[in-house]
Amino acid sequence: MTDFDARKVAEIHEHLHSHLPSESALRVKALETLLVDKGLVNPQTIDAWVEAYTEEIGPKRGARVVARAWSDPEYRKRLLENAPAAIDEMGYLGKATAHLKVVENTDAVHNLVVCTLCSCYPFSILGIAPAWYKAAAYRSRAVRDPRGVLAEFGVEIDDQVEVRVWDSTAELRYLVMPQRPAGTEGMSEDELAELVTRNSMIGTDRELGGE
Amino acid sequence: MDGIHDLGGKQGYGPIEVNDDGGPFHEEWEGREWGIAQCARTPGITIDWWRHCRELIMPIDYLGRPYFDSWAQADFSTYIEAGWMTLDEVAGAKVSTGDAAHGEPPAPLTLQQVLQEDHDHAHRFDGEIDAAPAFSVGQRVVTARHGHTGHTRLPQYARGRSGTIQAYNGAHVFPDLSAQGTEVHQHCYNVMFAASELWPEAGGSKDKVCLDLWESYLSEA
Repeated sequence: MTDFDARKVAEIHEHLHSHLPSESALRVKALETLLVDKGLVNPQTIDAWVEAYTEEIGPKRGARVVARAWSDPEYRKRLLENAPAAIDEMGYLGKATAHLKVVENTDAVHNLVVCTLCSCYPFSILGIAPAWYKAAAYRSRAVRDPRGVLAEFGVEIDDQVEVRVWDSTAELRYLVMPQRPAGTEGMSEDELAELVTRNSMIGTDRELGGE
Repeated sequence: MDGIHDLGGKQGYGPIEVNDDGGPFHEEWEGREWGIAQCARTPGITIDWWRHCRELIMPIDYLGRPYFDSWAQADFSTYIEAGWMTLDEVAGAKVSTGDAAHGEPPAPLTLQQVLQEDHDHAHRFDGEIDAAPAFSVGQRVVTARHGHTGHTRLPQYARGRSGTIQAYNGAHVFPDLSAQGTEVHQHCYNVMFAASELWPEAGGSKDKVCLDLWESYLSEA
């Protein structure tokens, strides 16, 4: 049973620092071995979770949601009003998306998402976060120098455009709806989904490729 | 806790490694750790306690090791703290003999079952409370000047700053107490801050930073 004893946990971290191998692969191997030997975890269930987030759950889900919102004004309205219900229509509600909010890029506003305190991310719709999203360089600078961060991703934001940064400090999660590129009027939802990059749904990409 | 995890606005971490291959896991152990974190949770644990255990990792390890290593480290600490395993067992990577060890593993879940579980675990954190919200949309508020030694979700960079209530999120589980094992709901708001209110070099900027903050972090401006 959890005791919520922070002092004890700090001591455990110091002990683990001194007594465990520094190589991550060995530490995780030890963790899995102990959990399996104690009958707490079935390794095949771990396999299934890896497969789920490698093959099934990833940014293609978010791209399909965005493409549908571009194509269907009623869906777009539902998505902006109640994103969890709207993504559930497509079977994508899940881990960390029960309080999802979709924020829309416009000619006047560019949205950028970060979690400065940990690495909160809308897993069931974007999958596992990219390494840079979880790294100190992005987490520290996105709130303070968002235009500099965007420039590193090759995105130049006009002075007239407001950059709005969403720091995921609670259980709300954010998905950026990028603007539909010009010249895509005749495209199907499937074709449109191909244009939507993972980064554009986090906000580190803005101009998507049209025709 | 004013820990190493509270990175917003800190400087000196260098350029962002913007190129990545788009894949979820880059080494096998990262996937194993992801899977472990999904299916091995101690009784009574809360997301906020797990986050606090991650914040308590020594700074040198928090910053110096790969991302999923910090998940493994947080898991280890919660398992040991809750009595699932001992430090000696962890150091030896071996279950102590004579322990009530070698239990029967739970039945394995298939991919379809895991996908269903992912869907079913769209956990909600909001609930009804009697008190009316103290603030309304459009109102000016100021954030608390200080945090405290426990877990909190008011980052250092946004303390003692004025902003505008942009949305009411409902009453959500209050993380500062959830990290101590007590589930209490409190009104939560999205608060928009002008970049120029937060950063000395942002004078004249039209940019904004929005945070979701609980009522007890806020006062009337």
